[in-house]
Amino acid sequence: MSGVNLSGIVKAYGAVEVVHGINLDVAEKEFVVLVGPSGCGKSTTLRMIAGLEEITAGNLMIDGRRMNRIAPKDRDVAMVFQNYALYPHLNVADNMAFGLRIRKMPKAEIATTIADVAEILGLTNYLERRPADLSGGQRQRVAMGRAIVRHPKVFLFDEPLSNLDAKLRTQMRAEIKRLHNRLGVTSIYVTHDQVEAMTLADRIVVMNDGAIEQVGTPMELFNHPANTFVAGFLGSPPMNQMKGVLTEHGAKIGDTEIKFDGFANGQAGRDVIVGIRPEHVTLAAGEQTSALPIELDLVEPLGSEALLHARFGNDNVVFKADTKGDIQHLSGVGEVYVPAPLIKLFDAETGHALNAKG
Amino acid sequence: MMNWNLYSRGDKFFAIVVSVLIGMFTVATLYPFIYIAAVSFSSGFAAQAGKVVLTPIDATLEAYGYIIKDPQFWISYRNTFIYTIGGTLMSLAFIIPGAYALSRRQLKGRRFLNLFVAFTMWFNAGLIPFFLNMRDLNLLDSMFGIILAFAVNAFNIILLRNFFEAIPQSFEEAARMDGANDFQVLWKVFIPLSKPAIATITLFCIVSRWNGFFWAMVLLQSEEKIPLQVFLRHTIANLSDNDEFAIVQTDAAFSAETVTAAIIVCSIIPVLIVYPFIQKYFEKGILLGGVKE
Ligand SMILES: Nc1ncnc2c1ncn2[C@@H]1O[C@H](COP(=O)(O)OP(=O)(O)OP(=O)(O)O)[C@@H](O)[C@H]1O
Ligand SMILES: [Mg+2]
Repeated sequence: MSGVNLSGIVKAYGAVEVVHGINLDVAEKEFVVLVGPSGCGKSTTLRMIAGLEEITAGNLMIDGRRMNRIAPKDRDVAMVFQNYALYPHLNVADNMAFGLRIRKMPKAEIATTIADVAEILGLTNYLERRPADLSGGQRQRVAMGRAIVRHPKVFLFDEPLSNLDAKLRTQMRAEIKRLHNRLGVTSIYVTHDQVEAMTLADRIVVMNDGAIEQVGTPMELFNHPANTFVAGFLGSPPMNQMKGVLTEHGAKIGDTEIKFDGFANGQAGRDVIVGIRPEHVTLAAGEQTSALPIELDLVEPLGSEALLHARFGNDNVVFKADTKGDIQHLSGVGEVYVPAPLIKLFDAETGHALNAKG
Repeated sequence: MMNWNLYSRGDKFFAIVVSVLIGMFTVATLYPFIYIAAVSFSSGFAAQAGKVVLTPIDATLEAYGYIIKDPQFWISYRNTFIYTIGGTLMSLAFIIPGAYALSRRQLKGRRFLNLFVAFTMWFNAGLIPFFLNMRDLNLLDSMFGIILAFAVNAFNIILLRNFFEAIPQSFEEAARMDGANDFQVLWKVFIPLSKPAIATITLFCIVSRWNGFFWAMVLLQSEEKIPLQVFLRHTIANLSDNDEFAIVQTDAAFSAETVTAAIIVCSIIPVLIVYPFIQKYFEKGILLGGVKE
């Protein structure tokens, strides 16, 4: 089988285990994004795949070959570093040619390869420049060019856009996606930016504390988070999570009962966490909606939408409302509505989703 | 030019004090050079009589004429070049890979090895054991012995090691991903990035080799192997013992003192020529730009 295959991958520094047995299959040509909070082991996992970090236990296969003890240079993977790591003493062309020269590619072939890649990345006019004389975005492109020229089996990216400003980041994000569509190289991409994860990924891997919380397509993870961690991590603002108790016809949060049928059969009294996505609420009642009485606290207009900061019982909640640009009429709002089928329930103790599909 | 209006009273006072101190320091370091040069071009009598202060008195080239006729001068001059170039190359061949190895995290027992190297900076075997060691290694009176024995210097290794350690780890990792082995990482990435540090070390090596005197005197017996500094010392000893020079006549064109000064001037010239070329490598900031901070 092609692609990258991790089974039971463990990383320990001395007695401290930081990655606890990760299992993951990345299919050929797939774009997989690892997300998670700082320190959860994303970089460590990526660096183990690269060969820059020794694998403590488990198996790493690339293209069907066991790679645990293979040197980075023989794994046929290329990596784009967060700080780019361009060789400061070499110009753009030589930076990209570095790996090709070491691999003894014939001169003429190097020249055409570099010209091609420079063309793709819009670097043709900068080939003679040193990294110090390039803008952040151009350096970023050179770093990608250095990976692309080698035609590796796998691209690894460690937060490649985190040093760019917001606008450039959006632009480069699209460029990376386009490149991937064009080159079709298996890619593993680390970020802690959930927007990058959602937009780039074929599949997202959410990590926390050295373990995988959930793997799935962006929409699967968004619509059906496996637990409260994933629910709280993806989405901006994140899902509102409120402690409650199941009743015959819904759940009671504090003194308020919100109604949704078809779940709680026979489980009344169970402690749960009720999850409501900010963007799922509406200002008007509709079919199958449950009403949520709120005390409006603050309104942040975002253009055609607005963020409503409010109190719901004892919880602080944030909702996103479609206002069509008019926020005047929001001041009197005392109730919002959420479609009952979109309400998520999680076990209060384990945090596991109770009504997750699949 | 300084715009004095931009300085407060206190700043002006400070600037003046600093300028005076630097001026005094400059004179103190420059004067010996000027004095020696002036003596070397003066007549033997004037020098001996203590008349030379700043400029040559009874200007003459006799002292230079005396030394360039001495074949031993040319032999030892050549030897100094051999010791300097050979010794510096030998030093770099040991120091660069040594410093690189000691700077790598993956080196097993790195702390101990670093301590081991630093230890030699504070403690060494001492004169006699070192001499006996050289004798037993059959390196007495050997040009190669001189080149080899002083090749490794803990201070230079530590200096370069610190510079290597400051180079971001990701350069090494990028090179490894690009397919480089250890040797290629060192040769194609670390050495080019360390030019300023290597230039500094090269200069240290050159200067210490060029001026090397004591051990050359102790370890070398054959005249045809001695460096310029030892030749200088022999000359001083010979001339002061020599009757011909013992009493300086009023018309003496050169004396022990002017000949000594002339040899010193000759030995300084190459250093003066080389220094500006090396100095331009003392550039900082070659690391800027490759890594985004
Ligand atoms: N050399 C090391 N020795 C000991 N612990 C380490 C070492 N390198 C990393 N760790 C630990 O491993 C854990 C995972 O680190 P890692 O760099 O993979 O996090 P990350 O998910 O990439 O975080 P970030 O988003 O901040 O980059 C952290 O808790 C970190 O402290
Ligand atoms: Mg990281």
